[in-house]
Amino acid sequence: MQGILFPRGIAEGREELNDYRARGGYEALVKALKTAPEDLIREISDAGLRGRGGAGFPTGKKWALTREGAEEPRYLVMNGGEDEPGSMKDRLLMEKLPHLVLEGVILAAYGIGASKAYLYINANYQAATESIADALAEARSAGYWGQGVLGTNFSLDVEITPAPHNYVAGEDTAALEVIEGKKPLPRQKPPFPVTVGLFGKPTTVNNVETLANVGPIILRGASWYRGFGTADSPGTMIFALDENVHRPGIYELPFGTPLRHLIEECGGGLKTGKPIKAVMPAAPSSAFLPADKIDTPLDHRSIREAGSALGCGVVRLTGEGTCIVEEVLKISEFFTTESCGQCPACRMETNTLTSLLKKVQQGQGGRAILEQFGKVLAFNKGKGFCTLIAMPGPPIESALNLFPSDFESHLTTGKCLPG
Amino acid sequence: MNRICLVCQNVDCKTRGSEQIMAELENRVSAKGLSDVEVKPYMCFGACQEGPNVVLYPEKNWYAGVKVDDIDDIVAHLAGGPHVQRLDTIDASLKELIYQLLDTGVF
Repeated sequence: MQGILFPRGIAEGREELNDYRARGGYEALVKALKTAPEDLIREISDAGLRGRGGAGFPTGKKWALTREGAEEPRYLVMNGGEDEPGSMKDRLLMEKLPHLVLEGVILAAYGIGASKAYLYINANYQAATESIADALAEARSAGYWGQGVLGTNFSLDVEITPAPHNYVAGEDTAALEVIEGKKPLPRQKPPFPVTVGLFGKPTTVNNVETLANVGPIILRGASWYRGFGTADSPGTMIFALDENVHRPGIYELPFGTPLRHLIEECGGGLKTGKPIKAVMPAAPSSAFLPADKIDTPLDHRSIREAGSALGCGVVRLTGEGTCIVEEVLKISEFFTTESCGQCPACRMETNTLTSLLKKVQQGQGGRAILEQFGKVLAFNKGKGFCTLIAMPGPPIESALNLFPSDFESHLTTGKCLPG
Repeated sequence: MNRICLVCQNVDCKTRGSEQIMAELENRVSAKGLSDVEVKPYMCFGACQEGPNVVLYPEKNWYAGVKVDDIDDIVAHLAGGPHVQRLDTIDASLKELIYQLLDTGVF
């Protein structure tokens, strides 16, 4: 696997400071400190870096909005909450390449003018937390953060905050609540964190993988970075495949790589040997794609035009013979469980969808029940503080559209479609 | 089919006292000897701002903003008395959405 983040593949162990420096590590920081923060932001914008946490928001734009904030201090939050089922890219980046991640943190803080960075790391990620903590100590001794970074007048304090292990705790404003010592509950937006964030101050929240891209971009330049990927989605992205394939794990691929390459060349196809029935490019919250879309390029625009989303790159395959009704029921139950409960509409929607799917699974309710899903989703559209309320819709509605016979079988026989 | 008296138990309605409403309804339905009426919790009718909400099914009567003082009138309605017009304030389109859900057996 050749990539920007893992240039030599996923190494067995953790990359030490000396090894990182031997391949140009922290040279981006030395370079950036000789230029204005605005130049750094411009380079990231020119590179077209987009957030890797799921939404794909332009990173340079987020930084510029934070820097424009009149209030000080400003804060940077590295979001390593990573609670999407099947996602492990952020954990592996923190475990294996802690200095690459940390250099990205320091550069981002310099760019936005933050005096403090919080590293919000999933509390279950012990090895990743230790790796980052060790890197922090090494980097501080080397003068990469602390008072007067590398002899300049830029100072930065860095602190690790453990992230609770539940789905909404990974939401950016829930992370801010936790860092402030409160429960992991999303805040109403707007205002967005770039204007009113941590302790009410302008704050950038960036995903771990996003930050890991920053050092290579600054060191080698935006045009080098744009040599990877597509015009719409420059660079690479880390995709995860689960245990259903012959070779599960994470794969860093240039944006625009065909989905088929990831599934067949990287993953080796389904262990069961069965043909693919559906692909979920961003499990568990994206729409299913049918098997005939397997040649779709893995970039934001192409996947969106195919009818789904790229999210944070957890690709889940469903083989022929697997019932889609059972699959979406599991997904719906996940969101019902993970809804934090503070927004009544989210509780109403997730619970009702799960109840409806259980009725379908048991062969109750008749065909009229299928019409209720869209009505419940439409009623709750745009409600709720965070995007969890928008997550069950794409899997359920795409399943209804693409695989009506799976639903028909349950409604008429109470059982899965034979096969 | 038994008649069902559904009481919303979502977070908003709970903060507005829906647990007490449900307990009082159970007590007074029982005291009135309405053995064909079952009082049950319901997750949410989507009318949180107007809660607590009580929906009678299958007759499809929706009472919103219910207070303890209203319970005798609701129980009287269940016993064959008049519709409680002052509590019937919910928009017709939302009623239709929820009644269709109830018709599919989701409760």
